Amino acid sequence: MPEIFINGHPVQAEKGQTVLQAALANGFYIPYFCWHPALSIAGNCRICVVQVEGRSWCEISCNLPVTDGMRVLTDSELVRAQRKDTMQFITLNHPVDCGICDKAGECTLQDYHYAYNGAPSISREPKVTATKFHDLSDRILLDNERCILCSRCVRFTREVSKSSALGITRRGDESLLRASEDGVLDRDAYSDNVIDICPVGALLSKSFLYKARVWYLKPTPSVCPGCARGCAVDIWHRKPEWKLRALDPQQNTSIARVTPRGAQGPDGPWICNKGRDLARIFERPRATAPMVKGKPVELAAALANVRSLIAAARHPAALVSGWGSNEEFAAFRAAFGDTFRVHVKHDHRPEPGEVVEDGFLIRADKNPNVAGARAVFGVGADSPPAWHGDTDLVLVWGEGCNFADLPRGAAVVFLNAYLAPENGHADVFLPISIATERAGHYTNFEGTVQGFAACFAKPQGASDAQALFESLATVAVATP
Amino acid sequence: MKHLIPEFEKLKQRFPAGFESSLVLPCVRRIQEDRGFVADSDIDGLVEYLGVPRIQIEEVLSYYTQFRRKPIGRWHLQTCRNLSCSMCGAERLMAHLKARLGIAPGETTADGRFTFSTVECLGSCGTAPVVMVNDTYHESMSIEKLDALIAKLD
Repeated sequence: MPEIFINGHPVQAEKGQTVLQAALANGFYIPYFCWHPALSIAGNCRICVVQVEGRSWCEISCNLPVTDGMRVLTDSELVRAQRKDTMQFITLNHPVDCGICDKAGECTLQDYHYAYNGAPSISREPKVTATKFHDLSDRILLDNERCILCSRCVRFTREVSKSSALGITRRGDESLLRASEDGVLDRDAYSDNVIDICPVGALLSKSFLYKARVWYLKPTPSVCPGCARGCAVDIWHRKPEWKLRALDPQQNTSIARVTPRGAQGPDGPWICNKGRDLARIFERPRATAPMVKGKPVELAAALANVRSLIAAARHPAALVSGWGSNEEFAAFRAAFGDTFRVHVKHDHRPEPGEVVEDGFLIRADKNPNVAGARAVFGVGADSPPAWHGDTDLVLVWGEGCNFADLPRGAAVVFLNAYLAPENGHADVFLPISIATERAGHYTNFEGTVQGFAACFAKPQGASDAQALFESLATVAVATP
Repeated sequence: MKHLIPEFEKLKQRFPAGFESSLVLPCVRRIQEDRGFVADSDIDGLVEYLGVPRIQIEEVLSYYTQFRRKPIGRWHLQTCRNLSCSMCGAERLMAHLKARLGIAPGETTADGRFTFSTVECLGSCGTAPVVMVNDTYHESMSIEKLDALIAKLD
């Protein structure tokens, strides 16, 4: 292990590390634009310069391998002067339109300007103008004037998503980031990651465009339910202390955007585009009224009805949701023991046009917790379920069940969060909460258990499935 | 582009395997020589033949100003606008061409005879000003010589 000295402090670096990596790993901050821990080294932004003691020049730390006994300075007078000059160059043609830029508040360029430059431009030349609002793909908008040509996004599509969709065309101050003309970027299932890794506001999400200032939002840790991978994500929503009262209160309980949660997830800092669109899954019209045979009733009446159905059933079965949390499965098991013959259900299946499975993150099982259900109930998802011939009651928990496939003549108790025609066809219908309204854990296909927290309160009338199981439990205990 | 593949195969032998992207430049150069410009279908054919991502070919084509994505006139008049030529009257030549042909730099005459461009240094400062017509240099040009030259181009 080579020992190096950063600003005079001894640091144990790892063999093969660069000065930038060794510094960041040991709590010394060096600024960087084009370098990214998961991408190759481009070395074009020049902001990560350091000075090796005794040398009269600076060099870029992202591409400077550590050697034993190396002594580097990250904050010498020369380094400070060069960083300031580099910031002048990088902002030379940047429009500095932070006031209308979605990236403001979480922009590396903005932060570095205050940290390392702070001075207005010394150039008196007019700025070079370039295309704005360029449609890079059907999901991404590009502002070429804000782009600092760091090439992170280009390297992402070549090295990570493998679509090679992006490139830098033309040259010099006419250089433009462009997507290839054959529309590959539209088909890149990971394209939105380039928005996160853009250090400036050049790459913008169309679905988040002008939607919120980021400082009014807060991230709630969650797990993407889009497939069995269960990527760790942050669900961004309006801070409660900045709740909107008069103006569009709907925004208080809406998902503003979804981003990968750092490198804490099982597969690093990337998620697929489906994970960005969780609002499309979670923000469908909700069911909020318990029903008995299609007629709205009080929750207590509905529960009483379920209790008597369970008590009368001789061969009750349950279709357990692949979207349930480990806590809900445990509560189900504790409440009902072996009362029900349990089948695990795939609530969601691949939709037309959706990437079913790839060799990277996306899994064919479009449910977050089939593995968790298997761990609790000892059965996987069987499709179609092998019903007991005399099944006379089915408890259907969650979406994805065609009632025509249920055993003939069996009574149906249905727990669902969304409005659906089946809700009224069940003998008893109970509206439940969704994952953004409660906390819990999912077990992914590799056995990794990850937690999610509640973002919003559940709507009036909906109950947590866990509470329903617990209140129905007495019946199950009485039944041998 | 397909009829050039035997030539490309010979080029390919001069590069180690895995360096297909290095073949983009000589291939597009040959295509332009053959067709006069690089058509979209040429890019598609090259993507298929070399197996490189399309964007890498687009990057090469847009980096070098010499490559064209659209057809041009029969005669391509390129006047140098760099230092030596400018000092020796290139600006007068350009103004004359503009007036005589009725087109601005980058445009083609309606009859498809001439395309007029201005370019950076043609590397012939000693014989400035220089006008390049297709692949031929015409040195120490004046308005009179230019008019005589144009009269000979059909």
